[in-house]
Amino acid sequence: MKGKDLINIGIFSAIYFVIVFIVAMLGFIPVFLPLLAVLVPILGGIPFMLFLTRVKKFGMIWIMSAIMGLLMLLTGMSWPPLAVSVVSGLIAELVYKSGNYQSASKAVLTNGVFSLWVAANYLPLFFAAEKYWSTRQNFGQDYIDTVTKLMPTWMCPVMFIVAFVCGILGGLLGRALLKKHFEKAGIA
Amino acid sequence: MDGLFTADIENRGLVLDPRTKLFVIITLVIFALGGTGSDIAAVRYGTAAVSILPAVLLLTAKQYGKAAVFGILFVAVKAAQLLLLPYITGAALSILGICCMVFVRLMPGLIMGAYMLSSTTVSEFIAAMHRMHIPQQITIPLSVMFRFFPTVLEEFTSINTAMKMRDIRIGGKYAGRFIEYRLVPLMVCSVNIGSELSAAALTRGLGTKVRRTNICRIGFHVQDIAVLILTAGLYILWILGMIGVVI
Repeated sequence: MKGKDLINIGIFSAIYFVIVFIVAMLGFIPVFLPLLAVLVPILGGIPFMLFLTRVKKFGMIWIMSAIMGLLMLLTGMSWPPLAVSVVSGLIAELVYKSGNYQSASKAVLTNGVFSLWVAANYLPLFFAAEKYWSTRQNFGQDYIDTVTKLMPTWMCPVMFIVAFVCGILGGLLGRALLKKHFEKAGIA
Repeated sequence: MDGLFTADIENRGLVLDPRTKLFVIITLVIFALGGTGSDIAAVRYGTAAVSILPAVLLLTAKQYGKAAVFGILFVAVKAAQLLLLPYITGAALSILGICCMVFVRLMPGLIMGAYMLSSTTVSEFIAAMHRMHIPQQITIPLSVMFRFFPTVLEEFTSINTAMKMRDIRIGGKYAGRFIEYRLVPLMVCSVNIGSELSAAALTRGLGTKVRRTNICRIGFHVQDIAVLILTAGLYILWILGMIGVVI
Protein backbone atom coordinates (compact mmCIF):
# COMPACT_ATOMS: atom_id res chain seq x y z
CA MET A 1 0.00 0.00 0.00
CA LYS A 2 1.26 3.44 -0.91
CA GLY A 3 0.51 6.86 0.50
CA LYS A 4 -2.14 7.48 -2.10
CA ASP A 5 -4.09 4.37 -1.11
CA LEU A 6 -4.01 5.40 2.52
CA ILE A 7 -5.24 8.87 1.62
CA ASN A 8 -8.06 7.34 -0.41
CA ILE A 9 -9.10 5.31 2.63
CA GLY A 10 -9.20 8.54 4.65
CA ILE A 11 -11.30 10.37 2.07
CA PHE A 12 -13.89 7.64 1.72
CA SER A 13 -14.00 7.05 5.46
CA ALA A 14 -14.84 10.74 5.84
CA ILE A 15 -17.70 10.56 3.33
CA TYR A 16 -18.97 7.35 4.89
CA PHE A 17 -18.82 8.74 8.39
CA VAL A 18 -20.64 11.93 7.42
CA ILE A 19 -23.51 9.71 6.27
CA VAL A 20 -23.32 7.74 9.52
CA PHE A 21 -23.33 11.00 11.43
CA ILE A 22 -26.36 12.43 9.64
CA VAL A 23 -28.29 9.17 10.08
CA ALA A 24 -27.23 8.93 13.73
CA MET A 25 -28.81 12.32 14.34
CA LEU A 26 -32.13 10.57 13.70
CA GLY A 27 -31.15 7.99 16.31
CA PHE A 28 -31.58 10.53 19.07
CA ILE A 29 -35.29 9.94 18.63
CA PRO A 30 -35.47 6.51 20.32
CA VAL A 31 -37.91 5.01 17.80
CA PHE A 32 -35.35 5.52 15.07
CA LEU A 33 -32.56 3.82 16.99
CA PRO A 34 -33.09 0.33 15.45
CA LEU A 35 -33.42 1.99 12.04
CA LEU A 36 -29.69 2.83 12.08
CA ALA A 37 -28.96 -0.77 11.14
CA VAL A 38 -31.19 -0.28 8.09
CA LEU A 39 -30.25 3.21 6.90
CA VAL A 40 -26.50 3.22 7.41
CA PRO A 41 -25.76 0.10 5.30
CA ILE A 42 -28.10 1.23 2.50
CA LEU A 43 -26.90 4.84 2.23
CA GLY A 44 -23.32 3.94 3.06
CA GLY A 45 -23.39 1.46 0.19
CA ILE A 46 -23.17 4.32 -2.29
CA PRO A 47 -19.77 5.71 -1.25
CA PHE A 48 -18.54 2.25 -0.34
CA MET A 49 -19.15 0.83 -3.82
CA LEU A 50 -17.26 3.78 -5.26
CA PHE A 51 -14.49 3.13 -2.74
CA LEU A 52 -14.29 -0.49 -3.88
CA THR A 53 -13.46 0.62 -7.41
CA ARG A 54 -10.28 2.15 -5.91
CA VAL A 55 -9.35 -0.92 -3.91
CA LYS A 56 -6.60 -2.85 -5.60
CA LYS A 57 -4.38 -3.89 -2.72
CA PHE A 58 -4.86 -6.10 0.28
CA GLY A 59 -5.79 -4.33 3.50
CA MET A 60 -7.69 -1.26 2.31
CA ILE A 61 -11.16 -2.51 3.26
CA TRP A 62 -9.81 -3.93 6.50
CA ILE A 63 -8.28 -0.61 7.52
CA MET A 64 -11.44 1.34 6.67
CA SER A 65 -13.46 -1.09 8.76
CA ALA A 66 -11.08 -0.78 11.70
CA ILE A 67 -11.27 3.01 11.43
CA MET A 68 -15.06 2.88 11.67
CA GLY A 69 -14.75 0.83 14.84
CA LEU A 70 -12.14 3.20 16.22
CA LEU A 71 -14.41 6.18 15.55
CA MET A 72 -17.22 4.49 17.43
CA LEU A 73 -14.87 4.06 20.38
CA LEU A 74 -13.81 7.72 20.17
CA THR A 75 -17.40 8.93 20.09
CA GLY A 76 -18.12 6.86 23.17
CA MET A 77 -20.13 4.07 21.57
CA SER A 78 -18.09 1.41 23.38
CA TRP A 79 -15.64 -1.26 22.24
CA PRO A 80 -17.80 -4.04 20.67
CA PRO A 81 -18.03 -2.14 17.35
CA LEU A 82 -14.22 -2.05 17.18
CA ALA A 83 -13.90 -5.75 17.99
CA VAL A 84 -16.52 -6.71 15.41
CA SER A 85 -15.29 -4.30 12.74
CA VAL A 86 -11.74 -5.68 12.86
CA VAL A 87 -13.02 -9.21 12.22
CA SER A 88 -15.81 -8.36 9.75
CA GLY A 89 -13.46 -6.03 7.89
CA LEU A 90 -10.98 -8.86 7.37
CA ILE A 91 -13.76 -11.16 6.13
CA ALA A 92 -15.02 -8.43 3.78
CA GLU A 93 -11.46 -7.99 2.52
CA LEU A 94 -11.13 -11.71 1.83
CA VAL A 95 -14.52 -11.81 0.07
CA TYR A 96 -13.52 -9.00 -2.28
CA LYS A 97 -10.06 -10.47 -2.75
CA SER A 98 -11.58 -13.78 -3.86
CA GLY A 99 -13.05 -11.86 -6.80
CA ASN A 100 -9.61 -10.46 -7.68
CA TYR A 101 -10.72 -6.97 -6.54
CA GLN A 102 -12.96 -6.49 -9.56
CA SER A 103 -15.96 -8.82 -9.35
CA ALA A 104 -19.18 -6.78 -9.18
CA SER A 105 -21.24 -9.41 -7.38
CA LYS A 106 -18.48 -9.98 -4.82
CA ALA A 107 -18.44 -6.21 -4.26
CA VAL A 108 -22.12 -6.25 -3.31
CA LEU A 109 -21.46 -9.12 -0.90
CA THR A 110 -18.48 -7.21 0.50
CA ASN A 111 -20.73 -4.29 1.41
CA GLY A 112 -23.02 -6.72 3.23
CA VAL A 113 -20.19 -8.10 5.35
CA PHE A 114 -18.64 -4.67 5.87
CA SER A 115 -21.95 -3.33 7.25
CA LEU A 116 -21.92 -5.76 10.18
CA TRP A 117 -20.10 -3.26 12.41
CA VAL A 118 -23.22 -1.07 12.47
CA ALA A 119 -25.15 -3.80 14.24
CA ALA A 120 -22.35 -4.18 16.79
CA ASN A 121 -23.30 -0.76 18.16
CA TYR A 122 -26.30 -2.41 19.77
CA LEU A 123 -24.31 -5.10 21.56
CA PRO A 124 -23.84 -3.18 24.84
CA LEU A 125 -27.62 -3.00 25.17
CA PHE A 126 -27.78 -6.81 25.21
CA PHE A 127 -24.50 -7.54 26.93
CA ALA A 128 -24.47 -8.64 30.53
CA ALA A 129 -28.16 -7.81 30.83
CA GLU A 130 -28.76 -10.41 33.51
CA LYS A 131 -25.90 -9.21 35.65
CA TYR A 132 -27.14 -5.68 35.23
CA TRP A 133 -30.59 -6.60 36.50
CA SER A 134 -29.37 -8.77 39.35
CA THR A 135 -28.16 -5.62 41.09
CA ARG A 136 -31.39 -3.77 40.48
CA GLN A 137 -33.97 -6.07 42.03
CA ASN A 138 -35.40 -3.14 43.97
CA PHE A 139 -36.83 -1.74 40.74
CA GLY A 140 -39.39 -4.53 40.85
CA GLN A 141 -39.84 -7.57 38.66
CA ASP A 142 -42.46 -5.63 36.72
CA TYR A 143 -39.92 -3.16 35.41
CA ILE A 144 -37.30 -5.78 34.62
CA ASP A 145 -39.84 -7.78 32.62
CA THR A 146 -40.88 -4.74 30.58
CA VAL A 147 -37.33 -3.82 29.67
CA THR A 148 -36.29 -7.31 28.73
CA LYS A 149 -39.45 -7.62 26.64
CA LEU A 150 -38.49 -4.48 24.70
CA MET A 151 -34.92 -5.63 24.18
CA PRO A 152 -35.10 -9.42 23.97
CA THR A 153 -31.83 -11.24 23.48
CA TRP A 154 -32.92 -12.79 20.17
CA MET A 155 -33.01 -9.25 18.73
CA CYS A 156 -29.22 -9.31 18.83
CA PRO A 157 -28.61 -11.77 15.94
CA VAL A 158 -31.58 -10.25 14.12
CA MET A 159 -29.79 -6.88 14.13
CA PHE A 160 -26.76 -8.47 12.47
CA ILE A 161 -28.91 -10.16 9.83
CA VAL A 162 -30.76 -6.90 9.17
CA ALA A 163 -27.46 -5.05 8.77
CA PHE A 164 -26.16 -7.72 6.38
CA VAL A 165 -29.29 -7.78 4.21
CA CYS A 166 -29.44 -3.99 4.09
CA GLY A 167 -25.76 -4.00 3.22
CA ILE A 168 -26.55 -6.18 0.19
CA LEU A 169 -29.37 -3.79 -0.77
CA GLY A 170 -27.07 -0.81 -0.31
CA GLY A 171 -24.47 -2.56 -2.46
CA LEU A 172 -27.01 -3.02 -5.24
CA LEU A 173 -28.10 0.60 -4.94
CA GLY A 174 -24.50 1.75 -5.02
CA ARG A 175 -23.85 -0.48 -8.02
CA ALA A 176 -26.82 1.03 -9.88
CA LEU A 177 -25.72 4.59 -9.14
CA LEU A 178 -22.17 3.70 -10.11
CA LYS A 179 -23.38 2.62 -13.54
CA LYS A 180 -25.80 5.52 -13.90
CA HIS A 181 -23.56 8.39 -12.82
CA PHE A 182 -20.01 7.72 -11.83
CA GLU A 183 -18.86 5.70 -14.82
CA LYS A 184 -20.26 8.40 -17.08
CA ALA A 185 -18.45 11.07 -15.07
CA GLY A 186 -15.26 9.07 -15.34
CA ILE A 187 -14.57 8.72 -11.62
CA ALA A 188 -15.52 5.09 -11.09
CA MET B 1 -20.03 18.71 13.81
CA ASP B 2 -17.75 21.67 13.98
CA GLY B 3 -15.55 21.09 16.95
CA LEU B 4 -14.32 17.82 15.49
CA PHE B 5 -10.64 18.06 16.36
CA THR B 6 -10.73 21.77 15.66
CA ALA B 7 -9.79 23.01 19.10
CA ASP B 8 -9.06 26.68 19.60
CA ILE B 9 -5.50 26.38 20.85
CA GLU B 10 -5.30 29.95 22.17
CA ASN B 11 -8.27 29.72 24.47
CA ARG B 12 -9.13 26.25 25.64
CA GLY B 13 -8.27 26.24 29.32
CA LEU B 14 -6.65 23.20 30.86
CA VAL B 15 -4.91 20.92 28.37
CA LEU B 16 -4.93 17.18 28.89
CA ASP B 17 -2.85 14.65 27.02
CA PRO B 18 -4.94 12.89 24.33
CA ARG B 19 -3.94 9.56 25.87
CA THR B 20 -5.47 10.59 29.19
CA LYS B 21 -8.74 11.39 27.46
CA LEU B 22 -8.65 8.06 25.66
CA PHE B 23 -8.12 6.27 28.97
CA VAL B 24 -11.13 8.03 30.51
CA ILE B 25 -13.31 7.13 27.52
CA ILE B 26 -12.33 3.48 27.74
CA THR B 27 -12.96 3.46 31.49
CA LEU B 28 -16.40 5.01 31.02
CA VAL B 29 -17.19 2.47 28.34
CA ILE B 30 -16.18 -0.43 30.58
CA PHE B 31 -17.87 0.75 33.78
CA ALA B 32 -20.71 3.12 32.89
CA LEU B 33 -21.84 1.52 29.64
CA GLY B 34 -20.67 -2.03 30.24
CA GLY B 35 -21.86 -2.10 33.82
CA THR B 36 -18.71 -3.88 34.98
CA GLY B 37 -18.60 -4.48 38.72
CA SER B 38 -22.05 -3.00 39.26
CA ASP B 39 -22.69 -5.72 41.85
CA ILE B 40 -20.15 -4.00 44.13
CA ALA B 41 -21.55 -0.95 45.91
CA ALA B 42 -18.23 0.91 46.04
CA VAL B 43 -17.75 0.50 42.29
CA ARG B 44 -21.27 1.82 41.67
CA TYR B 45 -20.47 5.01 43.58
CA GLY B 46 -17.11 5.24 41.86
CA THR B 47 -18.75 4.87 38.45
CA ALA B 48 -21.18 7.68 39.25
CA ALA B 49 -18.24 9.85 40.29
CA VAL B 50 -16.26 9.15 37.12
CA SER B 51 -19.42 9.61 35.02
CA ILE B 52 -19.62 13.21 36.16
CA LEU B 53 -15.96 13.74 35.21
CA PRO B 54 -16.76 14.74 31.57
CA ALA B 55 -18.78 17.68 32.92
CA VAL B 56 -15.81 18.79 35.04
CA LEU B 57 -13.47 18.41 32.08
CA LEU B 58 -15.81 20.44 29.87
CA LEU B 59 -15.67 23.16 32.53
CA THR B 60 -11.87 23.18 32.47
CA ALA B 61 -12.02 23.42 28.68
CA LYS B 62 -14.19 26.56 29.02
CA GLN B 63 -17.21 24.91 27.43
CA TYR B 64 -19.50 26.09 30.20
CA GLY B 65 -22.83 25.67 28.41
CA LYS B 66 -22.30 22.03 27.51
CA ALA B 67 -20.87 21.29 30.95
CA ALA B 68 -23.87 22.80 32.76
CA VAL B 69 -26.45 21.03 30.60
CA PHE B 70 -24.81 17.64 30.93
CA GLY B 71 -23.92 18.02 34.61
CA ILE B 72 -27.40 19.08 35.72
CA LEU B 73 -29.11 16.50 33.50
CA PHE B 74 -26.90 13.69 34.75
CA VAL B 75 -27.39 14.51 38.41
CA ALA B 76 -31.14 14.89 37.90
CA VAL B 77 -31.52 11.63 36.01
CA LYS B 78 -29.29 9.72 38.41
CA ALA B 79 -31.27 11.09 41.36
CA ALA B 80 -34.54 10.17 39.67
CA GLN B 81 -33.23 6.68 39.05
CA LEU B 82 -32.17 6.17 42.66
CA LEU B 83 -34.95 7.97 44.52
CA LEU B 84 -38.00 7.99 42.28
CA LEU B 85 -38.00 4.65 40.49
CA PRO B 86 -38.51 2.35 43.50
CA TYR B 87 -41.79 4.11 44.26
CA ILE B 88 -43.58 4.07 40.93
CA THR B 89 -45.14 1.16 39.07
CA GLY B 90 -46.73 0.24 35.75
CA ALA B 91 -46.23 1.94 32.40
CA ALA B 92 -44.73 5.11 33.84
CA LEU B 93 -42.08 2.98 35.50
CA SER B 94 -41.02 1.25 32.31
CA ILE B 95 -40.88 4.41 30.22
CA LEU B 96 -39.04 6.43 32.83
CA GLY B 97 -36.86 3.48 33.72
CA ILE B 98 -35.67 2.94 30.16
CA CYS B 99 -34.96 6.63 29.65
CA CYS B 100 -32.96 6.74 32.88
CA MET B 101 -31.06 3.56 32.10
CA VAL B 102 -30.11 4.55 28.55
CA PHE B 103 -29.16 8.05 29.63
CA VAL B 104 -27.07 7.07 32.64
CA ARG B 105 -25.21 4.36 30.75
CA LEU B 106 -24.75 6.01 27.38
CA MET B 107 -24.38 9.73 27.98
CA PRO B 108 -21.13 9.89 30.00
CA GLY B 109 -19.23 8.12 27.21
CA LEU B 110 -20.81 10.25 24.49
CA ILE B 111 -20.10 13.49 26.34
CA MET B 112 -16.53 12.40 26.99
CA GLY B 113 -16.22 11.68 23.26
CA ALA B 114 -17.56 15.14 22.46
CA TYR B 115 -15.07 16.65 24.91
CA MET B 116 -12.20 14.68 23.40
CA LEU B 117 -13.05 15.73 19.84
CA SER B 118 -13.61 19.38 20.69
CA SER B 119 -10.54 19.88 22.88
CA THR B 120 -7.86 18.13 20.82
CA THR B 121 -6.25 19.17 17.56
CA VAL B 122 -5.60 16.71 14.77
CA SER B 123 -1.84 17.12 15.18
CA GLU B 124 -1.99 16.37 18.89
CA PHE B 125 -4.11 13.33 18.25
CA ILE B 126 -1.71 12.03 15.63
CA ALA B 127 1.26 12.74 17.91
CA ALA B 128 -0.43 10.71 20.65
CA MET B 129 -1.11 7.87 18.22
CA HIS B 130 2.58 7.88 17.24
CA ARG B 131 3.63 7.66 20.87
CA MET B 132 1.31 4.68 21.28
CA HIS B 133 3.03 3.02 18.31
CA ILE B 134 -0.11 2.86 16.19
CA PRO B 135 1.07 2.01 12.64
CA GLN B 136 1.10 4.56 9.83
CA GLN B 137 -1.56 2.56 8.00
CA ILE B 138 -4.06 3.72 10.60
CA THR B 139 -2.76 7.21 11.41
CA ILE B 140 -2.58 8.49 7.81
CA PRO B 141 -6.18 7.62 6.87
CA LEU B 142 -7.33 9.02 10.22
CA SER B 143 -5.55 12.33 9.79
CA VAL B 144 -6.78 12.69 6.20
CA MET B 145 -10.27 11.91 7.41
CA PHE B 146 -10.31 14.53 10.14
CA ARG B 147 -8.86 17.07 7.74
CA PHE B 148 -11.55 16.19 5.22
CA PHE B 149 -14.64 16.20 7.47
CA PRO B 150 -15.29 19.96 7.44
CA THR B 151 -14.92 20.02 3.63
CA VAL B 152 -17.44 17.23 3.10
CA LEU B 153 -19.93 18.87 5.47
CA GLU B 154 -19.52 22.24 3.80
CA GLU B 155 -20.13 20.71 0.38
CA PHE B 156 -23.10 18.80 1.73
CA THR B 157 -24.69 21.98 3.12
CA SER B 158 -24.30 23.77 -0.21
CA ILE B 159 -25.72 20.84 -2.18
CA ASN B 160 -28.58 20.62 0.30
CA THR B 161 -29.43 24.29 -0.26
CA ALA B 162 -29.27 23.94 -4.03
CA MET B 163 -31.56 20.91 -4.00
CA LYS B 164 -34.04 22.59 -1.69
CA MET B 165 -34.27 25.41 -4.22
CA ARG B 166 -35.24 22.83 -6.84
CA ASP B 167 -37.87 21.47 -4.44
CA ILE B 168 -36.01 18.19 -3.99
CA ARG B 169 -36.66 17.77 -0.27
CA ILE B 170 -38.72 15.62 2.06
CA GLY B 171 -42.31 16.66 1.47
CA GLY B 172 -41.38 18.53 -1.68
CA LYS B 173 -42.45 17.89 -5.25
CA TYR B 174 -39.51 15.62 -6.09
CA ALA B 175 -39.05 13.85 -2.74
CA GLY B 176 -38.24 10.60 -4.56
CA ARG B 177 -34.93 11.98 -5.76
CA PHE B 178 -34.03 13.11 -2.26
CA ILE B 179 -31.13 10.76 -1.66
CA GLU B 180 -29.73 10.33 -5.16
CA TYR B 181 -29.61 14.05 -5.92
CA ARG B 182 -27.69 14.73 -2.72
CA LEU B 183 -25.26 11.85 -2.45
CA VAL B 184 -24.17 11.68 -6.08
CA PRO B 185 -23.01 15.32 -6.36
CA LEU B 186 -21.44 15.01 -2.92
CA MET B 187 -19.47 11.99 -4.03
CA VAL B 188 -18.32 13.52 -7.31
CA CYS B 189 -17.04 16.73 -5.73
CA SER B 190 -15.53 14.90 -2.74
CA VAL B 191 -13.56 12.62 -5.05
CA ASN B 192 -12.24 15.60 -7.00
CA ILE B 193 -11.29 17.55 -3.89
CA GLY B 194 -9.84 14.34 -2.49
CA SER B 195 -7.43 13.85 -5.36
CA GLU B 196 -6.23 17.44 -4.98
CA LEU B 197 -5.80 16.88 -1.27
CA SER B 198 -3.84 13.72 -1.83
CA ALA B 199 -1.50 15.49 -4.26
CA ALA B 200 -0.94 18.19 -1.65
CA ALA B 201 -0.35 15.64 1.10
CA LEU B 202 2.13 13.66 -0.99
CA THR B 203 4.04 16.87 -1.68
CA ARG B 204 4.37 17.36 2.06
CA GLY B 205 5.85 13.93 2.44
CA LEU B 206 2.92 11.93 3.72
CA GLY B 207 3.36 8.24 3.05
CA THR B 208 7.12 8.23 2.80
CA LYS B 209 9.14 5.67 4.68
CA VAL B 210 10.91 8.20 6.89
CA ARG B 211 9.75 9.03 10.38
CA ARG B 212 7.69 12.22 10.33
CA THR B 213 8.25 14.85 12.99
CA ASN B 214 5.56 16.68 14.89
CA ILE B 215 5.82 20.03 16.67
CA CYS B 216 3.03 19.31 19.16
CA ARG B 217 4.18 19.07 22.74
CA ILE B 218 2.18 16.36 24.36
CA GLY B 219 2.96 14.73 27.66
CA PHE B 220 1.58 13.96 31.07
CA HIS B 221 1.29 16.88 33.48
CA VAL B 222 -0.20 17.37 36.95
CA GLN B 223 -3.75 17.54 35.62
CA ASP B 224 -3.24 14.32 33.67
CA ILE B 225 -1.94 12.54 36.74
CA ALA B 226 -4.93 13.73 38.79
CA VAL B 227 -7.42 12.49 36.20
CA LEU B 228 -5.52 9.23 35.72
CA ILE B 229 -5.39 8.51 39.46
CA LEU B 230 -9.11 9.22 39.80
CA THR B 231 -9.97 6.93 36.90
CA ALA B 232 -7.52 4.21 37.88
CA GLY B 233 -9.10 4.27 41.35
CA LEU B 234 -12.19 2.75 39.80
CA TYR B 235 -10.22 -0.27 38.58
CA ILE B 236 -8.63 -0.64 42.02
CA LEU B 237 -12.06 -0.53 43.70
CA TRP B 238 -13.23 -3.18 41.30
CA ILE B 239 -10.28 -5.48 42.02
CA LEU B 240 -10.69 -4.91 45.76
CA GLY B 241 -14.37 -5.75 45.38
CA MET B 242 -13.57 -8.92 43.44
CA ILE B 243 -11.31 -10.23 46.20
CA GLY B 244 -13.84 -9.15 48.80
CA VAL B 245 -12.07 -6.29 50.59
CA VAL B 246 -14.82 -3.75 49.90
CA ILE B 247 -18.46 -4.39 49.13
